[in-house]
Amino acid sequence: MTATTAFDVGAHIRDIAPDVFETMVSARAELTENHAPLALERISGAIGIVGDSVTGAVYLHLPELFAQQAAGVMLAVAAGQLATDSETNDVTGELTNIIAGVLKSVLCDAGYFCAVSTPSVIRGAFSVEASPGMDVDHFYFLCLGQRIAVEVHLNFF
Amino acid sequence: MKILSVDDSKTIRMIVKRTFAPFDCTVLEACNGEEGLATALAEKPDLIVLDITMPVMDGVTMLGKLKENPEIKSIPVIMLTAESGRENVAYIAKLGVRDYLVKPFKDDQLIEKVKRVIALQPKAEAVAA
Repeated sequence: MTATTAFDVGAHIRDIAPDVFETMVSARAELTENHAPLALERISGAIGIVGDSVTGAVYLHLPELFAQQAAGVMLAVAAGQLATDSETNDVTGELTNIIAGVLKSVLCDAGYFCAVSTPSVIRGAFSVEASPGMDVDHFYFLCLGQRIAVEVHLNFF
Repeated sequence: MKILSVDDSKTIRMIVKRTFAPFDCTVLEACNGEEGLATALAEKPDLIVLDITMPVMDGVTMLGKLKENPEIKSIPVIMLTAESGRENVAYIAKLGVRDYLVKPFKDDQLIEKVKRVIALQPKAEAVAA
C-alpha cells in the first residue's frame, strides 16, 4: 500500500466540512454528487500544507451569497444589514483555516507531520492548476440551499 | 476583568467579543503574537485567548516569550486552535497553557473554558433584565 492510498482524504473531509458548517454557521451541509461548475460569483479561501512527507493545499469555494450569509451568522450581523466585503473575506478565510487545521491534525495523527499557512482569499471564478504529483479531490456539499466545494490537493512522498 | 483575544482572524476576535458581551469584562484585541505581547504588557489582562498560526509572530512563540517575562508570565492562556493533533496538543500543554479549545467551537464551549479560569460575572444590566 502506498502512502497516498493509506490516507483517505475523502473519509475525513466528508466529516470535517459538515461539522465546521454546523458548528460555526449553524447550517447542515450534505455531500452532493452534483459536480457541476459552481456559481461564477464566488469567494475562495486557500491554505497551504507543508511537511516532511506531504505537501498540498486546501481550497474552500463559496458562492458569494453563501459567504455573506455565513458572515452574517458568524458575526451576528443585524437583520436587514449585510456583512462588508472585508468581513465576508475574513469569514471565508477562517472557515478555510478551520477545515485545513482539522485536516492537518488528522494528517499529523496519521504520521504525516506538517504545518499550515495562514489563509489567502480570492474573489472570482477560477480553477486551480494542480502541481505535478498532486492528487486532487473535489467534495461538493449542499448547504443553505447552495453548493459549496472543498478542494484538496495532496502529494505524499 | 480583561480578556485579550489574539488571533489574525477578525472573525474569531469578533466572535470572542460577542461571546463575552453579556459579561462584566472588556475584550481587548491583537492580530498577531507581537501585538499580543505588547497589549499583554500594557494592559495586564486576566486571561489571554490565543491562536496558534498567525503572521508576524505565531501563538507558540508569543506563549514562549510571555512565559519568559516575569511581568506577564502568570497570565493564564487558553489556546484556541483548529490544530488538535495529538502531538500538537501535547506540545502546547508542555508550554504551560491553562487549557485549549479546538475550532470549530460554540460560544458556550468558550464561556465554559474561560469560567474555569477566571470568575466571570454577568453585566449589571444583564442581571437587572
